[in-house]
Amino acid sequence: MDEYISFEQIPFGSDNFADNPEPRCPCVLLLDTSVSMGGMPIQQLNEGVRTFRQELLQDQLATKRVEVAVVTFGPVTIESDFHTVPNFHPRELDTTGDTPMGAAITMGIDMVARRKKEYKEHGISYYKPWIILITDGAPTDDWAQAARLIRQGEDAKSFAFFAIGVEGASMDILKQISTRAPLKLKGLMFREFFMWLSASMKMVSAKSPGSAVNLLPPSGWSEL
Amino acid sequence: MTWKAIGHSAVGTSHTANEKGCDDAVQYSVVKSGLTGETMICCASDGAGSAIYASLAADMATKYMADALAGLAEAGHRLVEADIYALAEELYDLLEGEALKQEVELNEFSCTLLGCYVTGGRAIFFQIGDGAIVRNDGAGNYAYLWWPHNGEYQNTTSFVVDDRNLQNLRVAILEEQVDEVAIFTDGLQLLALNTESETVHQPFFTDLFKYLRMADEADKVAVLNRKLAEYLDSRVINDRTDDDKTLFLATRLQP
Repeated sequence: MDEYISFEQIPFGSDNFADNPEPRCPCVLLLDTSVSMGGMPIQQLNEGVRTFRQELLQDQLATKRVEVAVVTFGPVTIESDFHTVPNFHPRELDTTGDTPMGAAITMGIDMVARRKKEYKEHGISYYKPWIILITDGAPTDDWAQAARLIRQGEDAKSFAFFAIGVEGASMDILKQISTRAPLKLKGLMFREFFMWLSASMKMVSAKSPGSAVNLLPPSGWSEL
Repeated sequence: MTWKAIGHSAVGTSHTANEKGCDDAVQYSVVKSGLTGETMICCASDGAGSAIYASLAADMATKYMADALAGLAEAGHRLVEADIYALAEELYDLLEGEALKQEVELNEFSCTLLGCYVTGGRAIFFQIGDGAIVRNDGAGNYAYLWWPHNGEYQNTTSFVVDDRNLQNLRVAILEEQVDEVAIFTDGLQLLALNTESETVHQPFFTDLFKYLRMADEADKVAVLNRKLAEYLDSRVINDRTDDDKTLFLATRLQP
């Protein structure tokens, strides 16, 4: 009987786990900072990016797994390379220049390819990268090549590309660029958009087998 | 020494948050036959999170395979590779039939499959998709049968219903005494395997098998089985993984 009781009390289990790097979930934000975004739009966009960070920080796994990079245009600038959320400190963005959207997209695609290579070299597993374009205008450069790269990348399942148009954006051109239907932001609901994006990223960074990109319905912030 | 086996599936915290149930399943048994002695059988499955009938598929897969294998063990059948292929084909048909009945695409029944059939001096293992089977190699090391098959992305793998020709099915027959087996689904992969060196994380299994080896009567095994369920749902595990997880452990060793 004594022996039986002692068996009841044994500390079964193990807290000695493999020390693996967390799988990563890369996300590139391509943000239009052309002069037409001046005033309220850029303020709201800045606010939205801060919300994005805060929302991701609420989630234990997303905090460790999501990596954010920011590219602004124009001119095309890597505002912030890939960082996990705690190390992602978005700077207040200003508006400058025109809208070289094609070059920005090409840059985002290159960054994703490079990041994947780094993951592979370090034995880090990863989720499908997301590239998010937010713009209020039309490209001022040649975007045909960018559109081709998006199509190739989507076909090869190399990344998922999403285009978000703010008031004034050329939705027609966005439709030609993005294989997924672009979405139109309602008013300046950047905050709502980034809340949705963080919720979707939390879902992705939590494990869900199956190759489908699981998105929450874009409710609230998008015009139909 | 007789087999001592424990196993559970536990719901992941992300599934709890999304009000989803557990999409993992495990079924095991130790069959005693006058013809072949003891056969230890286990099947585990992880239903794809994106599939509507993930939970049902995992349940069907484990039950169908484990019951069929138990039947063969009772009949004293000497299991060969072709038997596993035949059973997996029947499982494919079963899942396809159910998908037709429910009027959904077959991929709504996506699930992985992991299993073993261990007799004296001979062991058969099989696997489709991720998760892993680990055995004591007889020299005191824990070794995996196959490194988990993930696609390029962490959240992709292959499933039973992916291919009618079962090109993703792996089967191994070891003509040797296997005394200790662990089977787990991918929810525990990052805890139990070192991804950079592609090795089994030895201390994890040493810790877990320690007490199972000590259990020398059915009551004690039952106590450990209950403790395993508690462990899989504990904070120490849930801080590391939010996915459903299954862990099966069987040993015929003593301390």
